[in-house]
Order: sequence, then structure tokens, then C-alpha cells
Amino acid sequence: MKPVYFLCILFLCSTATAQTRLTGRVLDQKGRALPGANVFLKGTYDGGNTDSTGTFRFTSARNDTATLLVSYIGYEPFSQKITLGSSTPLTIRLQEATNELNTVVITAGSFEASDEKRMTMLKPMDIVTTAGANADITAAMNLLPGTQRVGEQTGLFVRGGSGEEAKVVIDGMIVQNPYFSSMPDVQSRGRFQPFMFKGTSFSTGGYSAQYGQALSSVLLLNTTDKSQNEGLGLSINLANTGLSYDHTSNKSSISATAYYGNLKPLFTLVRQNIDWTQVPEFAGTSLTYRLQPSKTGMLKCYGMYSASQLGMNFIDPSNDAGKTAFKQRNNNFFTTSTYTDSWADGRWLLYSGLSYSYDTDATTFDAYDFGRSSERLQGRAVLTRLLPNNNTFLFGTEASRVTLRNTVMGTRYALHDNYAALFVESQTYLGRNLAIQLGIRGEYASVINRFNLAPRLSMAYKTGLYSQVSLAYGQFYQTPDYRYLYLNRSLTYERADHLILNYQIIKNKRTFRIETFYKNYAELVREFTGQPFDANPYRFPIGQTDNSGNGYAQGFDMFWRDQKTIKGLDYWITYSYVDSKRLFQQFTVSATPTFISNHNISLIGKRYFEKISTNLGLTYTISSGRPYYNPNNETFLADRTPMVNNLSFSASHITRINKNLVVLYASVDNILNTHNVYTYRYTPDNKTRYAVGPQSYRSFFVGGVIMLSRKANVNVNEL
Amino acid sequence: MKTLILLGISTLGTIAPVWAQSDQYKQAMSQAIGALQTQTMQTSATDLQALANQFERIASVETKEWLPRYYAGLMYVYLGFTGKDEAAKDKYLDQADANLKAAEALSLNNDELVVLKAYIAQSRMVVDPMNRWQQYGPLAQAGIEKAKSLNAANPRPYVLEGTSLMYTPEQFGGGPTTACPVLKQAAEKFATFKPANDLSPNWGQKQIEPLLAKCK
Repeated sequence: MKPVYFLCILFLCSTATAQTRLTGRVLDQKGRALPGANVFLKGTYDGGNTDSTGTFRFTSARNDTATLLVSYIGYEPFSQKITLGSSTPLTIRLQEATNELNTVVITAGSFEASDEKRMTMLKPMDIVTTAGANADITAAMNLLPGTQRVGEQTGLFVRGGSGEEAKVVIDGMIVQNPYFSSMPDVQSRGRFQPFMFKGTSFSTGGYSAQYGQALSSVLLLNTTDKSQNEGLGLSINLANTGLSYDHTSNKSSISATAYYGNLKPLFTLVRQNIDWTQVPEFAGTSLTYRLQPSKTGMLKCYGMYSASQLGMNFIDPSNDAGKTAFKQRNNNFFTTSTYTDSWADGRWLLYSGLSYSYDTDATTFDAYDFGRSSERLQGRAVLTRLLPNNNTFLFGTEASRVTLRNTVMGTRYALHDNYAALFVESQTYLGRNLAIQLGIRGEYASVINRFNLAPRLSMAYKTGLYSQVSLAYGQFYQTPDYRYLYLNRSLTYERADHLILNYQIIKNKRTFRIETFYKNYAELVREFTGQPFDANPYRFPIGQTDNSGNGYAQGFDMFWRDQKTIKGLDYWITYSYVDSKRLFQQFTVSATPTFISNHNISLIGKRYFEKISTNLGLTYTISSGRPYYNPNNETFLADRTPMVNNLSFSASHITRINKNLVVLYASVDNILNTHNVYTYRYTPDNKTRYAVGPQSYRSFFVGGVIMLSRKANVNVNEL
Repeated sequence: MKTLILLGISTLGTIAPVWAQSDQYKQAMSQAIGALQTQTMQTSATDLQALANQFERIASVETKEWLPRYYAGLMYVYLGFTGKDEAAKDKYLDQADANLKAAEALSLNNDELVVLKAYIAQSRMVVDPMNRWQQYGPLAQAGIEKAKSLNAANPRPYVLEGTSLMYTPEQFGGGPTTACPVLKQAAEKFATFKPANDLSPNWGQKQIEPLLAKCK
């Protein structure tokens, strides 16, 4: 009975004795008072809050030792053993907890749009709602700093890089055919709907060791985890009609789309600069299935199929008729599945994926067969370990098998490439102000039977509450263009070294960023034909090739965004400067390639008018002239095209018809009807030149979406 | 015999403090909930923080009770509305989430905790509706539906749904026409709703009164 007795005594005693007083102050590391902090004794009801001077006082029935706990929002919890009864006031200094504002983030070379991270410059919706981008991801990226707009070619041209040097990656998987098949002198759109993605990270260089095979840039797209709608939707515009269906159940969701498009209505309304012999016609379907088999696991399967056909006579000075007939039928199939999971309270993360794509183009130039096809199977697995203090360590592998086939005027070429890569990367925080990311990537490509080892390094230092500087360095390898490899397998990887320095400040809904870079190109493929330079962009390289090319690109770009100064108005400005020269392809001397424009400016503004539920946007872009080949000029590529500029407008309006949600949109491209010239081509006698310009000058587009479900929802910002 | 005595002692030893504490718990909770009930829209962040602290202090002692965590979470949702910028609001809501998580570990399939979860999602959305709509809108709605299915008599899912609809523009399927039937359902449920005990959640009626006034 002794313990119980003792317990009772203690209980009685403690209520009988006088209360102990506790006083003190709670301060931050700089000695500033923290009002509203919670101060209490562990395991008791005894405690209090600090007042406006950070002072607390409370009484306790305890008079021995106790553990004093202090908590304050945004600060590390504090605990200390104290002896009660002493009357000296306590002084407690709290340490600020790690958060997105006070911790440095590695940003050099990356331009991120994410819903999940708060400190990004753009949100995914900002990208797709921009006037002039026509809801095409690539077109939207072309408005970001670091890009050069090349009107007549497909792809992303980043900091002096060609379109082939940028790769599109969906959920970690390289997409073999991210764009609709290219046509002569017409820029093709991306194949993917922007709303599929929850986050976009556009690298302008110096990217992570997790990715490779891109000398300039990777565009990382991450698909959404949930379907964003419910029920059936119908869309109609000047180019196509489509159906979509979404359904979400407890642990899974499904999204399906189907569309048919024909550009005839648009082409009858908007005058075309292209002589279409068969108006583009296309149809496709996609299916997405997402399953959450456990609390932490997530399986996503996406598949899509599309078919298209078109025909045109394009300007071809080398042809006696001045033009060449082009016909194309494309079939494209792409599927990707990913599984992600985590263990040990999220300390271990697994990312794995498998993808397959098949693409075939039945293409003819005049009557000649220029058919091509590609097939790609790839797998990827990455394991990440989260360590204390934000430190992470990851390692992973990826492998792919690519088969490419080309027919060139009856001759068939084919190649298979088995590619494998291993990579490790660590991110280390030395305090909250300095972060270092170190990575290394090893690659092997069977087609050239060569290995490479590419180191990557980035670091960032926080210079103030809202500002930071970052630095990135890396080596990047890419297997040469497959057209060279058909005839020469002894080539080696082309290489680029990036050095990037970045400063950014994000404060109060205003963002400023400046980044300067130097890129060194080495082992570029050169072709020796023994003939004068041939400017025909569709020529097939049949000359001798080696890796003796080189080059550089240097410059800087700026980004300014302001969502604050004028209420309701969101605008941003980008400026990119690049200076670049290369000795590659058929070049006999080092020169600025034709896809380089030294200055690119874009001004983007948008405003939502709540009363009329209408969103208006305006985009103005300027690109300085690009080099073109003038056979009459002794200096190689010394001539420049005129400046290209474009003002475009977009509007969208939301309403309800019979309780069904309806979104109407309209846009005008090239409002000023500027007759932009992208490049010039010369006749074989060098006497006449033809201008190559856009598909159409001023053009417009209208359309609408109706959601045939009462539960349908729409994001104002998606308009 | 010895074992029996020992057993008796140990049970006594554990039961006695629990009973004593329980009274202390009830008293502390009643006092804090009483203070909570005097809150209005004008209550300062300081007072809300003081109350949140009080509930967290109770929670730190009563590690088996979900209610102190629930109320602390609720206070942080209220604080979330007071924050002066997005980052500050999110910090409060992070704290609301932390309390919710602790409460969920103590009580499974609890309709009131599901309501709180939906409330947090709604508040996250309100911080930056244009950009967060997509992420948090469905999350809030799923919570509201789940709470309804767990306890059809609970008026609070209807409070959240009706309030949110009232502030959603008509073009997006909101406004009085869709909000009022839901708010009326909430009012009907309040008429018959009996909280499990004096400490159980019982808020929402006052909150929808001004909205219901717009429905006539």
C-alpha cells in the first residue's frame, strides 16, 4: 500500500504548497520579441502565452524540476529542463524553422511552374493561358527567357541550341515524338494537352544528372494525379471537335478524350500563305487511368493514338517549278505508365516507369518516298532517400531501345540503339543559406558503342530574405543526329559544357531574375560534301562526317513579373540576349547558325474581369533578325533577315446555358498584320530569292467548350 | 496474494490520476470552449493564437483525447483567415494540418475531423483561389461528401458547402440559387442536432445566419 499512500501525500502536498511563479521572455535569434508563443511545462496544464513584448508569466503547482516547452509558429520547438522555484526570469531564444522563404533553393538554369511549390515564378496555368501561345506548351515556353523564336521550325531553341538539342520529358520519360510531324517551313504544335500537367520545369541549361541526351535543355512535364473534371465535355472550334469524359471514384480516376479535326473551316476564313493540296485532317484518342492502390502508392497509365494527313506545295527554289509537292500521313502511338511509392514516413521514395511509342510518317516529296518511322521502348527507376535538414540522395537508372527507319528516294536506312544510363545525385544544405547539388551521370549508347561520364554541379546562396544567387556547371552529351549515324557509326557524342550564374529576387508578388551563361560546344558533327554550301533544310547528309566541330554560345536573359502594382493586372517581360558561333554541319568557317536571333523580347499581360467573367490577354513579341545564306555574299551567313514581331490577343468568357457550364474563347494572332519573314532561299542560279514566312499573317480563332455535367467545374485561370 | 495486491495497486495507481485529470480536462476544455464561443469576426489574431495555444497545451497532456487537437486545428483555420500574406496564412494552415493529423491518429472515421479536413482545404484554396482552385476544390468537396456519409445528422458539412457556394460566382455554379437549399438543409439539421457531450463540436449555426438572411 505504500506507493498509493505516497501518491496521495504527494497529491495533497502539492495542492497545499504555494504556487511557483515562472516568468521570462521569448525572443528570436536577433533578440526580437515573439508575441503569442506558447510556453508550458511538459505534462501539465501549467502554461501561458507571451504578450506583445514576448514576456510570459504563469504559475505552477510544481516545485521540483520540470521540462519547459516553448512553441511558436514557424520556429523550431524548444525544450529545456528547469528547476522550479528560482525567481530569475528565463530568456528563451528560438530558432526559425526551415521554410520556403528562409531556405535557399537551387534555381540556376531552371524555370519552374508548379502548384506544389510556393516559390515559383509561374504557375502551370500562367503558361497555358498566355495569348499567342494557343494553349501549346512549346509555344508558351518560347515566351520564357532563354529561348529563341524560330518561326519556320519545330522545337525549342534554347540559348543558342538547335531544336534537336532540347528534349521533352513526361513523368521522367523522354518523348520520342513530342511534336506533330514536321512539315516544310511550318512550325508543328506539341502533341500534348497542357491541362494534362500539374507542373512544368523548363531548363535553360545546367540541368540535373537525372536527365541526359540533350545538349541544351530539357522540358520536364509532370502529369496530374487526379482528373480535374467530372462527366462529359464537348468542345468545338474552327479546327476540331472533341469529346472528353472524366470520372473519379474513391481510389481511381479515368479520363478519356477523342477528337476529329479538319482545318478546312479555318482555311476558308483565314487566308493561307501556303498552297495546301490537302487540308490537314487529323483524329485521335487518349485514355488515362490513375490508381491509388495504397496510402502512399500511385499508378498512372496514359495511352494515346493519333492519325493525320496533309498535302502542300512548298516553296523550293531548287526545283524548276519553284515548288515541291509534299504529302504526309502520320500515325502515332504513345503510352507511358509510372508507379510511385514511399516508405518509412516518406524517407524513401521510389519512382519507376515504363513507356513505349511508335510513330510512322508516310512522306513523299514529289513522287519520291521519304517515309520514316521510329519506335522507342524505355524504362526508368529512381530511388530517393530524404535525410535530415532537407538533404537528399538519389540514384537511378534508365534504359531505352530505339529503332529508326528512313527511306531516302528509295534507299532504306535503319538503326537500332540500346541506351543505358546510371546516375547519382546528392543535395546538401550547409545551413539554410547555402545548398550544393552534386551529380554524375554515366551513359552508354550501343549505336556508337561509346561511354561517357558527365559531372553536374549546382549551388545556391541566399543573399537576403527574398533574394539569392545560384551557379550551375555541367557537362552534357548527346548521341549525334541519327541521319549522320545511318552512314557513319564511328562518330562519338556531341558535347556541351554549361556555366550559368543566376540572381533572383521574389518579393511581394514581384519577381526579378537575371541569368548569364557561357556554353562551350565540342565534338559537333561536321559534314564534308566537297560541294558548295547547300541551304536546303531538307537535304539528307550523305557527305563524309567527323566530330571536329565546335562552337560557343554566351549571353544573358532577364525576367520581370509584377502581379501587384496594378490591381488585377498580371504582366511579365522577358529579354534574352545570345551571341553564338559554330563550326558544324556543312559550315567551312565558324559562323552564327541560322536559328540564332540575338535579341528576343516578350511582353505579356493578362487581366480577369470578374463582373463580366471574361479573361483578356495581350502578348507582344520581338525577335531580331536571323542569319540566312546568301550565295552572292562572300562572307558566309553574314546577311540578316528583318526583325520579326507579333502582337496577339486572346479572350475567354464563361457562362451557363441550361445550367451547363460553357466556356467561349477567341483569339487574334498578328493583329498588326505584319508580313514577317523568317528566312530567304535562293534559286540555283543565285539570282532570285524567295521569302519564307508564317503560314498566315493576321489570323483569328474561335471556339467553345460545354460541360454536360452539373458537377463540372472550371478554373477561371484556365480560360 | 502479493500479485493481486500489486495488481490492485497498479490499477488504483493508474485510475486515480486519470479521474483526477479528467475533471481537470473537462474544466480546462469547458473554459477554452467558452472563450471560443465568444469569438466573433472581430476577434484579434492574438486572442485566437492564445486560444490555439491553450488547446495545444491541453492536447500535450491529454494524449488520448482528439478534441483538444481538433479545436487547436480549428483555431488555426480561423487564424489562416487573419494572416497578412500568403506565406503567413499557409504557416497557420500547416499548423492546422499538424493538429488534424494528430487528431486523426486518435480517432478513426470521425465525421468532425473530416469536416475539419475539408475546412482546411477550403482555407488553402481561399489563400490563392485562382491558382489553388484545382488542387483544393475537389479535396474540400470530397471531405464534405465523406462527412455527410459518415454522419447524416451533422450540419457542419452543409455549413461548409453552403458557405462556399454562396461565395462562388453564379457562372461557376454558385450563388444564392444553389447555396440556399444547402444552407437551409444545414439550418434544419441544427434544429435537431445534439452534440455528443458539452465538449463536442457545435459550431456553424451563427456563421450561416447572415447568409441565410440573403436567401429570403
